[in-house]
Amino acid sequence: MKNFFRKVAFGLKPDEKAPSDPLIWAQKQVESIPEFNWKGKHIYSEKEMRKYWITQRVEENTTLRKKYKNDPEGFRRAERKLEADTGKHLWPANELCIRHAEGLRSEHPVLAKLWYFWGNHFTISDTQTLGSYSTGAYQREFLRANMDKNFEVMATEATLAWPMIMHLDNKDNIGPKSESGRSEWRIRKKRPATLNENHARELMELHTISPEAGYTQEDVIELAKIMTGWRPDWSERKDHGNDVGFESDKHEPGKKRVLGKEYKSGRKGIKLAIKDLVNHPSCRNFIATKLCRYLITDEPTPQMIAPVVKAWEQSDGFLPEVHKAAIKVAFEYNDKYRKFQNPENWWLTTINMSGSTYSYPVREKLIDSHPLGIKPFGEISEQAWFLKDLGCHPYRQKQPNGFSDLEKDWLSTELIIRRIMFAKTAFHKFSTQDMLDDNIHEKIIRNNFDNPDKILKIVSKAKTNEEKHIILFNLPEVLKA
Amino acid sequence: MKISRRDFLKGTATSLFLAGFNFPVLASTSKKKNLIVIMLRGGMDGLCAVPVIGDKRFEKIRKGILIENPMKLDSDFALHPKLKGFSECWHDNTGAIVHAASIPYTARSHFEGQNLMESGGRVPYQEKTGWLGRGMKLANLKGEGLALSLPMPLLLRGVPKNDNYYPADGRLPRDETLELLKSVYADSSEEELLDMMNFIKKRKNEQMGTGVGYDKRKNKNLAMRAGQLLSNPNGPRVAVFEVNGFDTHAAQGGINGTHTKCLVEMDTIIQNLKISKKTYENSIILTVTEFGRTIKKNGGNGTEHGYGTAVFLAGGLVKKSQVHTDWPGLKRKELFEGRDLNATIDARSVYASAMSTVFDLDFNRIEKEVFFGDKLQNLSDKLFKA
Repeated sequence: MKNFFRKVAFGLKPDEKAPSDPLIWAQKQVESIPEFNWKGKHIYSEKEMRKYWITQRVEENTTLRKKYKNDPEGFRRAERKLEADTGKHLWPANELCIRHAEGLRSEHPVLAKLWYFWGNHFTISDTQTLGSYSTGAYQREFLRANMDKNFEVMATEATLAWPMIMHLDNKDNIGPKSESGRSEWRIRKKRPATLNENHARELMELHTISPEAGYTQEDVIELAKIMTGWRPDWSERKDHGNDVGFESDKHEPGKKRVLGKEYKSGRKGIKLAIKDLVNHPSCRNFIATKLCRYLITDEPTPQMIAPVVKAWEQSDGFLPEVHKAAIKVAFEYNDKYRKFQNPENWWLTTINMSGSTYSYPVREKLIDSHPLGIKPFGEISEQAWFLKDLGCHPYRQKQPNGFSDLEKDWLSTELIIRRIMFAKTAFHKFSTQDMLDDNIHEKIIRNNFDNPDKILKIVSKAKTNEEKHIILFNLPEVLKA
Repeated sequence: MKISRRDFLKGTATSLFLAGFNFPVLASTSKKKNLIVIMLRGGMDGLCAVPVIGDKRFEKIRKGILIENPMKLDSDFALHPKLKGFSECWHDNTGAIVHAASIPYTARSHFEGQNLMESGGRVPYQEKTGWLGRGMKLANLKGEGLALSLPMPLLLRGVPKNDNYYPADGRLPRDETLELLKSVYADSSEEELLDMMNFIKKRKNEQMGTGVGYDKRKNKNLAMRAGQLLSNPNGPRVAVFEVNGFDTHAAQGGINGTHTKCLVEMDTIIQNLKISKKTYENSIILTVTEFGRTIKKNGGNGTEHGYGTAVFLAGGLVKKSQVHTDWPGLKRKELFEGRDLNATIDARSVYASAMSTVFDLDFNRIEKEVFFGDKLQNLSDKLFKA
């Protein structure tokens, strides 16, 4: 039963008392959205973070390129300085701290684990330096903050969020027959307005109904037309950093037809279309399947998915109810199924079960006292590197479909080498006192396993405490919760 | 461009460079032959890499992202001028292109498309193994696959004991610790983890990779390493690379654009594999991608997801330098759905032919057992050395 704590959260700390009713303990955590555990001073909105993105973008593209047009070396130097001044490496480090403090130091690790799920579902992939400035804030503001609302709210806000519009190119989705599309300057400058289908396709394929719904290329094009005009305006001072708004002069006129339903021209179209997409049966099936796959097993059965779909139907996609249903299914199937943990969740489990959450993530004062203008080093920069090297940095997904939830995708010689190396790294997150404590592994094991004697016997074969750490956190029982 | 559909099926070889460049004759069975696949993720624009020559309409609708001063390959096609590595292959008669080819997938989703380019099937997410893995299984090549990436790609799945190389920093623990972990996996019947521990134990005796930090994980250096490993008679016979970033909906750019950057990364892999002469001489290098891109440029100086594209082939087992194509033409009515270069060759025919050549397998068996009995074209004689 104790693996349930690793399944829906990150295991128990060595001195943490096991909750008497694990199911209630887990379900209660997803009912509301508490304040962040992280008390650092830099918790900025996506819009505030965008200012740094704008500075970096505008300075680099205009000032620096002009100034150093014949001096590539000078350009590179100035670019590095600009990156440090705008916190290109400091901000993602700060966001990782906020993110991981939720999993490791808060009273609601279950909520954190589900937050990570949504961050991956509504992925912002690593383009246009969004991962450096915006993705962390976006995941807090548009995803976590909406985990106590209906899925429709989350889907609508995520779709129209500035980073999403940017990374899926909806800023370039302009109606050819729109006022702007027909304007004289486009002909003169040979810059015709065209649809950009990228965002429309992903909204259906990845975010809501999935290809299972059987939509056609024509549906994609029509949805793209509905989405035309939703973009940040470009200005010399802010580049594309302006707020996302509806620009009616770039909206494709006329009625559109998606999945057999007609939508009128105008700003209301997108919200109506999202409403219909989230209420499509394929959407709840798709998301219920993904949730079960994330928490329970790579191959969820129809029996697992059904109660989650039912909770969705009864609550109109109210996420706390959907989450509770998924947690309940995870609880019921806990002994029968084991779920291979992705590298980030495994890393957090390793730190949490070790009880070294006092040193990982780094403390608030270390981040708060780091000045802009100096590229972070040491412990601050190390955290981002860990995740990158584990192949699972949550702001650095290569593609909009995010990271895989399947064991097969996380099994390779090199990825297992990483787990061995990082179990060692986790050991060095201990204070000297804990490193030297010969009983530390017994404490960890007794608190986290139903069969502690067997586990202890295996781990005791290792000679040093460091080696015990490597063995313990690479046992099949830990790799798979 | 004067040619149109089915004007020519002949390969347009350049015999100019043939003279005086002969690789040693390969014995078909005794020599170790290698297959190297470079996956180009995001949808490689075959018309950016290998543009048609003299097609006014094409030049017009691509203005702004058209590649200038391409290297002329034959009367109809040219090569992106930044592909220096491949152009050398072309000149020494070991570089070829199959144009207007694609996997048979037309729904334009990256994720479905990439799944199919790796699985080799027709229904997305249906197959849990890759065409390369199944081909290796048919040839009984266990433990001979190497991925130059952190995860194990679907492409190689289907045959046990594949290895990968993407060097970590730091040092592995002592042998005893690795041995202990291995015995734990053996006791709990974790077969795959056990296979990996065997590789890790071997890795322990080697360097964790040359070069420092990031650099050792770059494709150019991974290619150098792969070249060495493949040249070893007991080393892997199959290697898989990945190049990301071909999805250029915006700012695709011309000669110095984003698409070029990705193509150059691909080119450097070929160039650096070539440094290991023994490996290159006994290999087929081929590229795969999920789809090509639209003919028409969009308003953001990018291109949308399309269909037909080009396949690059290089290596000593390539028959000759040629652009092999059944050119469908670029007039509106000749385009796929009025917007994309059509695909007249199933790219899987090229994959199957390459496997038939390298793994010494009967083409019909590959067709039947690797590609589910789909009717493919045997191009082995046209494209590769027997």
